[in-house]
Amino acid sequence: MEELKNQQAAPEAADSEAPLDKNVRLMSPTRMVVRRFFRSKLSILGLVMVISLFLFSFLGPVIYTQWGEIQLDESGKTEYSIAETTYTVNGVEYTLRQTTEKYLKDNFLAPPSAEHILGTDNEGYDIFVRLMYGGRISLTVSFIAVFLITILGVVLGGVAGYFGGAVDNVIMRLSDVLMCLPGVPILLIISTILDASDIDAKYRIYLLMVYLTFISWTGTARLVRGQILSLREQEYMVAAEAMGYSTFRKIFKHLVPNVMPQLIVQMSLSLGSMILYEATLSYLNLGVKAPYAAWGTMINIISTNQDILQNHLNVWVPAGICIVIAVLGFNFVGDGLRDALDPKARR
Amino acid sequence: MVKYIAKRLAYALLILLGVSMIIYFLIRLMPVDFIQDKINAINQGGATVSEETVNAMYEMYGLGDNSFLGILKGYFNWLSALARFDLGTSFVYGLPVADVIFEHMGISFAIALIATIFEFMIAIPLGITAATHQYSLRDYVVTILVMIGISLPSFFFGQMLKDVLALKLGWFPASGLIDATASYTGIELLLDYARHMFIPILTIVILSIGARMRMTRTNMLEVMNSDYIRTARAKGLKESAVINKHAFRNTLIPLVTSLAGLLPSLFSGAIITEQVFDLPGIGNIALDAMNRGDIPFIMGYNMFLALLSVLGVLLADLMYGLVDPRVKLE
Repeated sequence: MEELKNQQAAPEAADSEAPLDKNVRLMSPTRMVVRRFFRSKLSILGLVMVISLFLFSFLGPVIYTQWGEIQLDESGKTEYSIAETTYTVNGVEYTLRQTTEKYLKDNFLAPPSAEHILGTDNEGYDIFVRLMYGGRISLTVSFIAVFLITILGVVLGGVAGYFGGAVDNVIMRLSDVLMCLPGVPILLIISTILDASDIDAKYRIYLLMVYLTFISWTGTARLVRGQILSLREQEYMVAAEAMGYSTFRKIFKHLVPNVMPQLIVQMSLSLGSMILYEATLSYLNLGVKAPYAAWGTMINIISTNQDILQNHLNVWVPAGICIVIAVLGFNFVGDGLRDALDPKARR
Repeated sequence: MVKYIAKRLAYALLILLGVSMIIYFLIRLMPVDFIQDKINAINQGGATVSEETVNAMYEMYGLGDNSFLGILKGYFNWLSALARFDLGTSFVYGLPVADVIFEHMGISFAIALIATIFEFMIAIPLGITAATHQYSLRDYVVTILVMIGISLPSFFFGQMLKDVLALKLGWFPASGLIDATASYTGIELLLDYARHMFIPILTIVILSIGARMRMTRTNMLEVMNSDYIRTARAKGLKESAVINKHAFRNTLIPLVTSLAGLLPSLFSGAIITEQVFDLPGIGNIALDAMNRGDIPFIMGYNMFLALLSVLGVLLADLMYGLVDPRVKLE
């Protein structure tokens, strides 16, 4: 009601002769949702976070071309190590200090400077640039996975909900089985299979995520099925039936669009969890493997190297912050969308 | 009721059968010479995988015979062994897989149990205050904080806590379960365990509070909008009585139900946290086993997890009927 009252003050208000819809600016449901979404500061914050990460990852490497993803800084580095030995000759103590100067080809673990905004990692790659390329992988992979999961879930859930009976039974029992599969451990097996069958390091993660979609469509399918079960009893479906529409048209033109709000919320929330999934896999060295960059891969080094964990925060903390920003951003957007799409929410 | 449980148990068995098919199919996708390579690597690493163990595994899974009948035969072989609780022998440990699982399950269980208790103790009050003060500053602060908790990757946050609390400040040990240099007994040993497990548990609690708190908040909001709460207020009850006696008890229904769903996570081990803090829990063992190609173990572990989740779903459904008399089990 609040919504409508605000709209009474239309631009050309005073004209009492004109029909009603001239005085009242009508608002489509979509516009109302958009308005409610932007009223929440958290959703705006989330949107800003997500968009800036996208710009950073996809436009960043185009603008900032100083270094490439797998371009080593070969400007060299000198490493000094001092060895001290103490001799005692005739009661007098002598200390011998031996300095070793080592020239190394790659400028690794460089501190942040004008040359390298966030320094270089233990191999000599520029961290700032790798953050951008890592973001490309993480965001692309998550989007593909969520997209595939949604398509699979909508088709299977829609078919199960519409036809019911044996079809429904088969699909739902299959989803029961898949829901009981342990997530990460199964991916461990799949990753080993990928290892065994020589796949280019660049495409590994995509294949892994495709496998992941095969076992993760169940949530979406259940959501769609549940909605369709209640929607198909509605009068407009009887009307669609009377019009003689095809089954395909009834499911995908009349039923699925009504599930869209819940689907969009689910998609934006699962984008966050997919980014976490991908990062975890890469951290375990199962996803994107070196020399290619992903946010998780960039943190992987600290699980074996205590020195970097303690003394070179610039190597791993930025990647972690990027992951947090991405996940938090998608969660804020998802939450904002849920509140905006919920007709019961009175705010 | 008995009929319902029997029906559900039979159904659970069917689901497990389905899971076993998928897991078996996955293992058959692995090229045999790759498995041989992995075994060779273990042998070179010092440990010895006896010829017997390997042959027993080949026979158990029916590897090598790739005809359709061969695969079918292999599957039923494995299934009949599974029915006798024979999960094969682990390559890396040289022990029956079931023994290895039970040996390392205890530590994972202890960590998960303590973490879960803290999670409930913190998340429920937070969820209730957030709900009773909906849209207030308090609600926003709590919501944003737990959202950050949900969004943190466990490996990143765990390593950060380890870096700050253990390595930089030196308050807690960085990894492991006990201090190997000291030999404590009795209460001192217990304290040593506690010191080692503090950061892992802290990590798990902070990461998991969010979901539980949001669940409590949503349920509480739903209850607060119901008619009987209005009635309670209308008859002049104190707000604290309304919230604690009338509202909170009704939010308990989904919380108690979710307790049964926690069963898998109590026993399955937190792979990442255990890896970060190098704890000898079952998750870390499984990760190590996979990296070294210990196929019998990883198969057994996956079946074990599937069994846990089937039981979890079953228990959750039964609990639902027990806690909420309005739900009729059929």
